[in-house]
Amino acid sequence: MNITVDKVLDCKGLACPMPIVKTKKGMEELQAGQVIEVLATDKGSVADIQGWAKNTGHQYIGTIEEGEVFKHYLRKANADEVKEETRYPHTVSHEELIEKINAKENMKILDVREPAEYAFGRIPGAISIPMGELEERISELNPEDVIHVVCRSGNRSDRACQLLDEKGFKRLKNILPGMKDWLGQIEKN
Amino acid sequence: MSTKVAIIASNGGLFDAYKVFNIATAAAATDAEVSIFFTFEGLNLIHKQAYQQLPMPAGREHFAEGFKAANVPAIPELVGMAVELGVKIIACQMTMDVMNLKKEDFIDGIDVGGAVTFLDFAKDANVTLTF
Repeated sequence: MNITVDKVLDCKGLACPMPIVKTKKGMEELQAGQVIEVLATDKGSVADIQGWAKNTGHQYIGTIEEGEVFKHYLRKANADEVKEETRYPHTVSHEELIEKINAKENMKILDVREPAEYAFGRIPGAISIPMGELEERISELNPEDVIHVVCRSGNRSDRACQLLDEKGFKRLKNILPGMKDWLGQIEKN
Repeated sequence: MSTKVAIIASNGGLFDAYKVFNIATAAAATDAEVSIFFTFEGLNLIHKQAYQQLPMPAGREHFAEGFKAANVPAIPELVGMAVELGVKIIACQMTMDVMNLKKEDFIDGIDVGGAVTFLDFAKDANVTLTF
């Protein structure tokens, strides 16, 4: 599968610790929130990349194995994500959301994470518009619809709700917490 | 506060060099603060000439091919990366005196110090390793 990323880093043929060292350097060139795809043939990189992300605070999204090549996806952490400030007043919990889904309520789920995050697991039927593209793609959404917005932690979706609210969308709910704690059904690419 | 990793390198073979510098660069790349104290034969690992052709353990020379096949970086390359990533290199003054070595005999960017220099860093390290 092809996943849109901000940077591709080729570490094929390199032995430990080079994939990690190069990932660190590659990450430095990214803006917070951007996604990197690291290509590696080192089998140790599967565990190492996850350990690296855990220790540096960046987000490990997932790994795809294609033949001998591992494609690791990581998202650069955003300092303000850690704080998880939430301001948009209308929110919905996972339990409430699952009830609405089961009751087949008429509503849309908007996922504002990066395409790679969306590809590795989303609420079934969720529409993907990354936060950075929301303003220019706003015409794809209908202000009359009931829209539930989700991201990983609840932070980007909060900003998305505020942006949509300013643009005249009034039937919004921010899904809290985000996908990192989602235990309901998952749809993948 | 970041993780602190304190390493003592006291052996001078090629395998020793990889153990020390792989851990050190991996730790530094993972945002740890790393210091390595090079003492006795460990000084070979940062000696301008010696570190370019460190010996394999006796009877293990056939691993040379394996290193090549696995595309493992050469030691000078790894050391350069470690320094670039901010790994602090401390050469043991006492061993240098015993072996009649000067700071100029070693790669650039090292510190020279005594045991306390290292201990001062290691006293609150999260990880301490000896090779």
